[in-house]
Amino acid sequence: MKEEHRQDGPKKYGMVIDLDKCTGCGSCMVACMSENNAPFREDESDKLLSVAWLRLYKLTNGKPYPDTDVCYLPRPCMHCEGHNGHSPCVSVCPATATDYDSATGIVSQIYTRCFGCRYCMAACPYHARVFNWWDPVWPDGMEKYLNPDVSVRMRGIVEKCSFCYHRLQRAKDKAYAEGRREIREDEYQTACTQACPAGAITFGDLNNPKHAVYKLRKSPRAFRLLERLGTNPKVYYLSSREWVRRAGDNYLADEATGAGKHMAEHKG
Amino acid sequence: MKVGRRRFLAFGIGGAVGTALTPLPWKLMDDISIWTQNWPWTPVPPKGVVSHVNSVCTLCPGRCGITVRKVGDRVVKIEGTKGHPVNDGGICLLGLSGPQFLYGPSRVRSPLKRVGKRGEGRWEAISWEQAVSEVAKRMGELRAKAEPHTVGCLLPEDRGSVAQLFARLLTVYGSPNVMRRPSIEDTYEMALYQTHGIIGRPGFDLQKTTFLLSFGSGYLQGWGSPVHMFRAHSHLLSNSCRVVQVEPRLSISAAKADRWMAVKPGTEAALALGLCHVIVKESLYDKAFVDKHCQGFDAWTDEQGQKQPGFKELVLGNFTPATTAEITGLKQADIIELARNFAKASRPLAICGRGNGSVPGTLGEFMAVYALNALVGSVGRSGGVLALPEAEYLQWPAPEMDEVAAKGMQQQRLDGAGGDKYPLARYRTSYLAALLKGGGYPLKMLLVAGENPVYDLPGSTELKKALADIPFLVSFSSFMDETAAMADLVLPNHIYLERLEDVPPVFGLPKPLLQLCRPVTAPQFDTRHTGDVIIQIARALGGGVAAAFPWPDYESCLKQVLGGHFARLHKDGYLEGRVPELRFETASGRFEFINTEYKAKPAYTPVIPQGDKGVFPLVLTGYDSMRLAGGAVADSPFMVKSVDDTVLKKGDVLVEVNPHTAGQQGLAEGDAVVLATPAGRARVRVHLSHRVPPGMVAMPRGLGHTAYDPFIGGKGVNFNELIAPVPDPVSGLDAAWGIRASLTKV
Amino acid sequence: MSTVEEKSQEVTEEQPDDATPVDPPEPPPATEAEPKGGILPAFLIGIVASLIVGWVVFPQLLYSKKRQPVDFNHAIHVREVGNDCAGCHYFREDGTFSGIPKLDKCVECHAEPIGISREEADFIEKYVATGTEVPWYVYAKQPPCVFFSHAAHIKMGHMECATCHGDIGESEHARVYQENRITGYSRDIWGHNISGYTRHTWESMKMADCARCHQKENVHQSSVQTKKGACFVCHK
Repeated sequence: MKEEHRQDGPKKYGMVIDLDKCTGCGSCMVACMSENNAPFREDESDKLLSVAWLRLYKLTNGKPYPDTDVCYLPRPCMHCEGHNGHSPCVSVCPATATDYDSATGIVSQIYTRCFGCRYCMAACPYHARVFNWWDPVWPDGMEKYLNPDVSVRMRGIVEKCSFCYHRLQRAKDKAYAEGRREIREDEYQTACTQACPAGAITFGDLNNPKHAVYKLRKSPRAFRLLERLGTNPKVYYLSSREWVRRAGDNYLADEATGAGKHMAEHKG
Repeated sequence: MKVGRRRFLAFGIGGAVGTALTPLPWKLMDDISIWTQNWPWTPVPPKGVVSHVNSVCTLCPGRCGITVRKVGDRVVKIEGTKGHPVNDGGICLLGLSGPQFLYGPSRVRSPLKRVGKRGEGRWEAISWEQAVSEVAKRMGELRAKAEPHTVGCLLPEDRGSVAQLFARLLTVYGSPNVMRRPSIEDTYEMALYQTHGIIGRPGFDLQKTTFLLSFGSGYLQGWGSPVHMFRAHSHLLSNSCRVVQVEPRLSISAAKADRWMAVKPGTEAALALGLCHVIVKESLYDKAFVDKHCQGFDAWTDEQGQKQPGFKELVLGNFTPATTAEITGLKQADIIELARNFAKASRPLAICGRGNGSVPGTLGEFMAVYALNALVGSVGRSGGVLALPEAEYLQWPAPEMDEVAAKGMQQQRLDGAGGDKYPLARYRTSYLAALLKGGGYPLKMLLVAGENPVYDLPGSTELKKALADIPFLVSFSSFMDETAAMADLVLPNHIYLERLEDVPPVFGLPKPLLQLCRPVTAPQFDTRHTGDVIIQIARALGGGVAAAFPWPDYESCLKQVLGGHFARLHKDGYLEGRVPELRFETASGRFEFINTEYKAKPAYTPVIPQGDKGVFPLVLTGYDSMRLAGGAVADSPFMVKSVDDTVLKKGDVLVEVNPHTAGQQGLAEGDAVVLATPAGRARVRVHLSHRVPPGMVAMPRGLGHTAYDPFIGGKGVNFNELIAPVPDPVSGLDAAWGIRASLTKV
Repeated sequence: MSTVEEKSQEVTEEQPDDATPVDPPEPPPATEAEPKGGILPAFLIGIVASLIVGWVVFPQLLYSKKRQPVDFNHAIHVREVGNDCAGCHYFREDGTFSGIPKLDKCVECHAEPIGISREEADFIEKYVATGTEVPWYVYAKQPPCVFFSHAAHIKMGHMECATCHGDIGESEHARVYQENRITGYSRDIWGHNISGYTRHTWESMKMADCARCHQKENVHQSSVQTKKGACFVCHK
């Protein structure tokens, strides 16, 4: 019996976002909000209070017209692995309302367990976590579109991107019903990945050489956000522009980016 | 036994000890914590059977295939259909917003009749029978007075069965005033006719293009079929193709391109002709194609025996790199390099039509871009621009007009399109405000379906006043938009998720694509398909009008006019046509650089922004963003939520101003200013940005709704309140790329 | 906290030291006059009373009792429909579990009465004829934060329905549904015994019950922080 329950090797779900393809259109944001029952209020222009799991940051090279350049950067939860699963946010939670699953590499967030101390928000270097200052309210009749696969969050708790974990649960259900234990790459895709009109987001198991993300993250264009903090994030970005890769971390003026180094090695 | 203090204490202590030996405290604590985790006011979405229904998104002209996820009978999520020829699984944020539109608070829930003053927002819910009979009564009265031509109709498009039902109704009723808002599709149509002699629209074979040169087209901001364009762009990147964007502002299309050519605003056509100059001069053009398929490259003699200059002369004489550099503000070397790279690419393609394509632009510019494509042989070949002839897929029984109708139809159109002055134009609705005030005759009744002119047409402040003077305004809107809010009657249509309707071919796709929008859910409110309502109005009018509408309802009408297509469309959702072969139907039977009949030719026609430079030292231009739906459909609450705080902050829109200009004007980031133009004035805030050149103010289209609900309305300023149309002298269509403006600190 | 305890404290507090009579029916005598021997009995009475309240009265107050809208006979259905539980509680193609059947499933057989029972006639008249879904009370209903996969347990884990649901399939009458007045959930979740003590796996359905079995069977014990089951296995 025990033998049968053993997982077929741990997964490490991760994402690669191609910033050359990303147009900053915001479809990933709305796909996420629609899939994950995000609330909305009349004024959402204060982004510190706006409940969004995935946000788009605008980067600019800071040069004057016409040498200026901009690039959008979608930022879901990075699902940091840290060192052996000790992500910044998970390590500080006093309620064990968030944990790191070594079988999937996903950082959970259990709303009913969270009591809203917001320590995790302070610990997260990516601002990936948001606090619900208000109870969610849907205008009469609008609650009809809510997704039963995702819990509706109440006031006073912290929430964040779950890599659409419920889609993995759904995919597993289907696989189990068909007598399979393994799920295919295309069976578990996050809502943002699925929606992206530019096809800029790739999602899959970073441990699995057959998955697209496995190769993509080794691209010379790849970099991660604030990599040197040791957060070991599972979201990778691709950009052919050096200034964008530099914007991903705090580099000294004469320092090459990780990707730059890769490229040098690549050419050498 | 007497109960004393000590005994009480003992009893109490005993009680406490006993209670601790019961599960009560622990159970109660557990229950209370569960209660706090499940507040009764937090909704719990009910579970149910999950199903997926395919249909088409008609929120924008892109027409993506959608797969609607339902739980029980609730619409929960909209996803792009995998393998669909338009979007292959991708979907934009407007398409994703479907469920918010379906269940949103701005839906009109039953027919409404105005009871207060116009625009006051006081309504009486009426029955459909009363609504239909009131429209028919009004129309009947005007027809009895022999004034049927004073009834107008404003639609988003003229293709498709509902638009044609409206046109049919007005034809047999006796009015030529079916109007549609023109866009770049109109200019492309004209350019195609002038160069190919074909009535139809262009298709762009982007999957096979190796070099995309865009003259200001916001190919990543809603131009053409948005998701199709996104996918095409990603495809180009994956195949290491080059993309060059020619545009004064660093739009996202410019930022994503390999090269951004920051031209002076409004000079894109000059660059196109400048590139032609280099290509011709350096003999880089596709001689085989030009010799075999083109007319008017060299000088020619027309039918009257007059000598006409050829395109070669035209570009060689006027658009030297030096001249072009001066007009466009680019470097000569960059122009020459671009021309060489473009001509040497294996399958280059040039596109035009600024922003998301809502402003038609000048015919000269479109013909210049067509000429550029022809020079490199990218006309009618894979990876180039294709001509898709207009194929009428609906078969209507010929309507019979009675005497009143025939007389009414002989009246000049109110917008003068197709008349002596602008013979090429089919619609000139951009000038509606001026036409309503000073047209040939007053409009006494206007039917608006699928459009929101009060918000969406340039000069909306003036238009609002002009529309208020129309005695009877009927809106068929599903939402309480700005036009519906002003109407006398609102006859709410089902939204696309509740509707069966044909979806005419999409602009820009390389193949004709006919689709069918199928209902994914039962109507949520007491709404009615506009197609049904038109038939009912016609029947109520009686006589010859009723005779032209023999169908009991819209569905049977659609089945009849779609004929054999219906069954296949109903099964598969779409029908793909073939890529037509290269052919030209001009007088010469060739691609005409300069049209032999109309003499329309590639040209740089400077469009001067309206306004006095002394009063208005700056120039205001609008920009498009996918996060703001600029057209007849408003944003969803989710879309508003996605808007950056450098675009919208609280209720204020931020306009982009170059820091250099801001410094001259003494303006800092976030300053509240009055933005004034000859068309209007509004309070905005300043956002310092290097994306715009000095002297320019850039403002997003799509904000400033005044109707709808508080999640959508009351945010920022409507760009259309500040702009006014400027006609292209040849086509008569609006070609305004900007307007003079001033910023004053408040 | 116990209500009895509260009451007793209130009384003690309100009782003034100067022995002013506050309790009209039985004015307490001065403290000094109180016989010392009454303390132990009072203590014992306190214990006994609170034990009765905690073990007997409290459960009675905590749960409201509701009759199922239809007195459903599982035994006869298992017999007649066949295919064990799966005759009515089946897996859908996408791997989800149908749970309590909807009316259309009942109508497959009960469009017309097939028996002679009063209960069936009532059911047909009230629900089938009007097309109204039966508002069943669900004994095993879990809070919205819970994701429970029947497929994982039945299809992959090869567990018996009875392991969690007991012998409900053999019942001839619908049990009274007891709803926790505070949480709104069924008594079956906590278990019938107010102490939470259970002898069989089907007697309670709390998180601890899931966790216990998962730990025993080594299912997904991959949480780095708890060294036990990861949160995102059963939660959503």
